[in-house]
Amino acid sequence: MWDSAEGFFGSYYIYWISVFLFIGYGASLLTLYLSGILLARRSIKRTKQRSIFLRAEDIVSATDIPSVTIIAPAYNEGLTIVENVKSLLSIQYPYYELILVNDGSKDESLQLLIEEFDLEQQDATFITQPIPTASVKHIYRSKKKKYTHLTVIDKNNGGKADAINAGVNFATTELVIFTDVDCIIEQDAILKMVRPYLEEDDKEIIGCGGGIGIANDSVIKNGILTELKLPSRLIPMTQVVEYIRAFLLGRMAWSEINGLMLISGAFGMYPRKRVIEVGGFNPKTVGEDLELCIRLRKHMEEQNIPYKVVYLPETLCWTEGPSDHKILIMQRDRWARGLWETISLHRDLLFNRKYRQMGLLYYPYWLLFEFGAPIVEFLGVICIIAFGIFGWINWPFAILLFFAAYLLGCVFSTIAIFMYVKSFDHYTKPKQIVELLLAAYLEPFYYHPILLFGQIKGYYKKLFDITSGWGNMTRKGFKVSKSKESKA
Amino acid sequence: MNEASILLFIAIVFSVLVIYWISIAVSLVYRSNRTARLNKIELTFADVVSRYLYNDPANPITLREINTTLKNVGIKPENKNNIQFLIRLMIRTQRTILGSHFYKLQQLYTQIPPYGVSIKKISSWSWYRKARGIREIYEMNQSQYFDEIFKYRNDKNIYVRREAQIALVVFLGWESLRFLPYLKRNMTLWQQIKIVEKLYDLYPKPELKWLHRAYKTEKLFGKKLIMRIIRKYLLHGEIGYIIDNLNHEDYEVRETAIYCIQTFAVPSATMAYIKELYDDIPNATQQGQLLNYIFENSDIDLDFYMKQLYGKNEDLKLSVAEILWNNGHKEKVQEFYYQQYPKSVLNVG
Amino acid sequence: MRKVLVIQEDIVILKILERLVSLNEYECKAIRSLDSLSIEDQQTNFDFIITDILFEGIAPLQFVAQVQEVIPHKNLLVVTNMGQDKIKQEIFALRGVTGFYAVPIDLDEIEAIIQAY
Repeated sequence: MWDSAEGFFGSYYIYWISVFLFIGYGASLLTLYLSGILLARRSIKRTKQRSIFLRAEDIVSATDIPSVTIIAPAYNEGLTIVENVKSLLSIQYPYYELILVNDGSKDESLQLLIEEFDLEQQDATFITQPIPTASVKHIYRSKKKKYTHLTVIDKNNGGKADAINAGVNFATTELVIFTDVDCIIEQDAILKMVRPYLEEDDKEIIGCGGGIGIANDSVIKNGILTELKLPSRLIPMTQVVEYIRAFLLGRMAWSEINGLMLISGAFGMYPRKRVIEVGGFNPKTVGEDLELCIRLRKHMEEQNIPYKVVYLPETLCWTEGPSDHKILIMQRDRWARGLWETISLHRDLLFNRKYRQMGLLYYPYWLLFEFGAPIVEFLGVICIIAFGIFGWINWPFAILLFFAAYLLGCVFSTIAIFMYVKSFDHYTKPKQIVELLLAAYLEPFYYHPILLFGQIKGYYKKLFDITSGWGNMTRKGFKVSKSKESKA
Repeated sequence: MNEASILLFIAIVFSVLVIYWISIAVSLVYRSNRTARLNKIELTFADVVSRYLYNDPANPITLREINTTLKNVGIKPENKNNIQFLIRLMIRTQRTILGSHFYKLQQLYTQIPPYGVSIKKISSWSWYRKARGIREIYEMNQSQYFDEIFKYRNDKNIYVRREAQIALVVFLGWESLRFLPYLKRNMTLWQQIKIVEKLYDLYPKPELKWLHRAYKTEKLFGKKLIMRIIRKYLLHGEIGYIIDNLNHEDYEVRETAIYCIQTFAVPSATMAYIKELYDDIPNATQQGQLLNYIFENSDIDLDFYMKQLYGKNEDLKLSVAEILWNNGHKEKVQEFYYQQYPKSVLNVG
Repeated sequence: MRKVLVIQEDIVILKILERLVSLNEYECKAIRSLDSLSIEDQQTNFDFIITDILFEGIAPLQFVAQVQEVIPHKNLLVVTNMGQDKIKQEIFALRGVTGFYAVPIDLDEIEAIIQAY
């Protein structure tokens, strides 16, 4: 029927089918985003109302609250490891432990920790390993009473997922939080994160996530974020808007209908019992956070136990986002591969009634709109070029349509920024808000094409079986301000 | 769809955008003013309360002065948000103080605004306002409204019934436990924690007859609540109730029982009974927790540990091996592992 | 005159303790965080430090250790909202802490201690 590319793209039928497919896809996405705003608004309001009856200051004084372990894997983080551990130790929660897993670092990380925290080796002969991991060499604990909550596990390298699994094995608390060692966690984060577990009613909470913020160029003192600044470069600044939109609108909306399939690996809390039941993180995928959440949900569905995955609107964890386009591409390439692997691993979910909404709605959404969006966009670009060459496009109309779509995107970002400003006091200066809005409005022209490139690169690697690991995400590091004490 | 309709659509979307720009600006200004106002109220309240509790004979503070000062910072009936913030401060302060100053503070609260705000909230259709009203009433100890609150103890909204049940404990103390068997809906962990804490803070002397009446409850949340009360008050005479629930069929009841028993040391005869129950626990993690308790609170019972060492669960075996290894029975562990892996080299120690 | 340093982030508790201390004829320095401490204050040998353990940017145990290292004092009283037995044991394990009071507190107890001194 089509004997050449010219014949294919020049076909009248192909043109109209493409137009309707793209418009249909865009309209569906628009409807989903609009519903997302309404659901997120409701979810944020309800979370706020509920928090009146269970304030952080009530929890901090309570007994019988669940014990929590933060598990932070570290690989060659020698430059910042001491500062990072101090930061994680400053979290305020009465029943709190910190397990740092040194995943076979080749640098001087372990030595630095031993010196700074006065660590001594403990007997590691009888460690139980409900989840198999690379072998643990030694366990270290501090001789100083002020670091009594710290445990360092020194193990052979097995990757991030394997390191976290080793931490889960060693933890003895009811709840475990997974984070990256270089994340800065708000001091009252655990007090807020346990709230859903304390209020658990007829549905078991199997996962709880909190908002993650971008803190490039912010000021850090003693491992604590003392002054939140907007990043000076456009790429990380755009990520601030992207994260606000993703966490405040996206995650909160899904949380409202119990449709969350992802809790970010940078900061998520789970019951240890359930994590062990499903065998911990899967070390074979680079998208281990998404994969674990889906596997946990599947496990609960199979056991027929009512459950919930929830998100909190507050930004409880700050991280350093990629500072230039090369690192951003590397990050999104990895995320895309992780998504591909997880979607493929759990393809049995698709329209599977056994898994109820998860099979009939949430998984198809992820397949079509999270996994499919870069592909649709990429095909869209090709079609525009091809149809343009063959003169099928009514340019004045197309430009108007593009402008309308662009404005809609701006409205979504503006609503997200408005909701953030209204609910939280992280960005309070008019200059910061103007900069955020400008970054959001420039996003489609500068930032988004880079994202698309990174995602397509990831898919390409998977499609042609090109082996690629986590990649080294070089960080610039936060601005560190020394305290009076450390100066002395 | 033509160009004109797209232009109209663009105009509408742009107007929405402008509305949000204005909303952001308003929100920024409001937040800044509001924060300043709240700080002012908080500072004034702190000053007034501290001066009232520790009145300087040389410069005494009068009730009239207090009321005028509060009014000057915006505590007026028409400023509902300010009033709400003041209520929050009053509750927060009252919850930090015990003894004679607590009563002095309560006396002050009856003489300063707001008046009758909380009871009005109870008749609201909104669960949020209703629950908030109940909370304020019990936190401010306004027992005259008890009858109003009592009827909400089985309300379908979790927050309304939770606050009403806590109010029951605040106003009736131990006697409120007699209602436990008749509560219809589930109690969350936080609700149990809060009830135990309120009971402990306000009624430190146990009244066992009400506790014994509550034993009749078949509700799982009721059992958990009773065990937490026994633990908090260190009621050694009542630990039989906790022990009886160590092998309960429900996972969470067992979990609470294991958690609560850890507060108590028991005589050897009771420990022997706990060891008997150990085998009935269907979950290995919980068995591990109980094993730790048995180890930390009794002498080494070789027969018991050897039986567990030759049991089925690998993790439990490892824990038992560790206990035996560190407590003078290395040869038993070696013997066990030689039997398991006769041809391999023992990799412990 | 005998001197007391009160460190509490909660302004209401801070003011109440400040007032309690002042009316008992002590000179009182009341601050909401260690950042407000002047160099002079760091050289004063306080008869009592009455402090919370929950502050921004520092772990509770580290805070107590830091106060013990940085500010000369004779007695250290901890008054805190995070007053569970576990925390109490950890704080006392640091040594050098005179008293630990979990909120809600009986102000008469604190008054009795400083009066008896």
